Amino acid sequence: MEPEDLKYTAEHEWARVPAATPEGQPVTVRVGITDHAQQALGDIVFVSLPKVGAAVQAGQPCGEVESTKSVSDVYAPVSGVVRARNETLDSNPELVNASPYDQGWLFDLDVSDPGELSVLLGPEEYRATLG
Amino acid sequence: MADFGGWAMPIEYAGGGVLAEHAAVRERVGVFDVSHLGKATVTGVGAAAFVDATLSNALGRIGPGQAQYTLCLDPGSAGVVDDLIVYLRSDDDVLLVPNAANTAEVVRRLVAEAPAGVSVTDRHEEFGVLAVQGPRSDEVLDRIGLPTGHPYMSFREVEWGARGVVVCRTGYTGERGYELLVPWAAALALWDALLEAGEPAGILPAGLGARDTLRTEMGYPLHGQDLSRSVTPNQAHLGWAVGWSKPTFWGREPLLDERAEGPRQTAIGLLLLERGVPRPHMTVHDLQGQPLGETTSGTFSPTLRTGIALALVRSSSERPAPAVDEELLVDVRGRRCRARVVRPPFVASHVQD
Repeated sequence: MEPEDLKYTAEHEWARVPAATPEGQPVTVRVGITDHAQQALGDIVFVSLPKVGAAVQAGQPCGEVESTKSVSDVYAPVSGVVRARNETLDSNPELVNASPYDQGWLFDLDVSDPGELSVLLGPEEYRATLG
Repeated sequence: MADFGGWAMPIEYAGGGVLAEHAAVRERVGVFDVSHLGKATVTGVGAAAFVDATLSNALGRIGPGQAQYTLCLDPGSAGVVDDLIVYLRSDDDVLLVPNAANTAEVVRRLVAEAPAGVSVTDRHEEFGVLAVQGPRSDEVLDRIGLPTGHPYMSFREVEWGARGVVVCRTGYTGERGYELLVPWAAALALWDALLEAGEPAGILPAGLGARDTLRTEMGYPLHGQDLSRSVTPNQAHLGWAVGWSKPTFWGREPLLDERAEGPRQTAIGLLLLERGVPRPHMTVHDLQGQPLGETTSGTFSPTLRTGIALALVRSSSERPAPAVDEELLVDVRGRRCRARVVRPPFVASHVQD
């Protein structure tokens, strides 16, 4: 089940938006793929993530998640600059299967336009896309 | 589920997954429903001699109760119409197991040339095929009273629940194991019995995904990917499945001509030296960036934890195919990954264990 406190995209990413960000600091969101996505992919064997400092564009591919069955692009949910990446996934990509919303997170993003956050889907809206 | 030659087949089973199913076969035992495989019989006086005079391998190398890997070649080009297993019951009774998608074509070609008194019959949907594969296969079969321990590439025919079952010491995984040909009506009961009997051994049902990773680790070709009518046995290193001294078989002349001239393309194995999973139809380059050919199969090897591929690369007498240990590049979606040429299998075979 999708956590209630996350935002989602139709491309099966999630974004954890902080409740509040101190004045003058960028909003940093954590990004991962949903439980539905990891189940559809099957056993994940490689995760390729954008480099720290890379600028990513909302809706554009910025990484790949590869399973024994297929490969899927990871899309940036919003535009921003990569602040951190989950280095653990280099040696333990299966964490994305085991813990998609927690230990299997992909990267943190400093959001360049917080206005873009409003177009992300709520849990109910995301579930509706799954049909 | 995936469409595979017109058959709806599971890529993986719920509660398993490709990696778990692959590990079960390598370490314990797994069972595959490969009922999609074709079945055809060639019967009548001279049936074996007819098969020997048409398919590539020399049937004289085996006796009744033994099985053999062979090829149905195109007479004009020596391209591989199909690769199949022949089960020699007697001089007058031969069972063929071709690939699902090619069964009708193999049967058509045999029917067209069968001499009087020899019947070729497509029995595709008369038998199911269940493959029990892995080091603990024997104990699963033992528990339900099926014979075990006969030599690799041989078979026994027994009664199981008042039905005739063929127990073949064959497979497509590189592990010790058996393929069971069972009448369609009894296939489900046998499947259930195998899963129950295999529980103490940790059996898992395994799908097409694991079947592909297991066979690719062994370098076993898959028709439709690594083999096709535009690939010959010379090119695919399948000369061992050709009865070179036979006076006649389909494709003999073009095959001998090509062997004398040298094949224009050659199959190689590639072990990726960087992170990445090769898939079919990725371009293979030399280190100078010259395209040499493309991958025909590719996957993540769960055993080696790296990408592996089978590829077809250009070759000629002036410029032979890249040698073992040579480094090449595979274009993995725009990223050129270094790969080392290897001679499959990528993982040691245990079929004779």
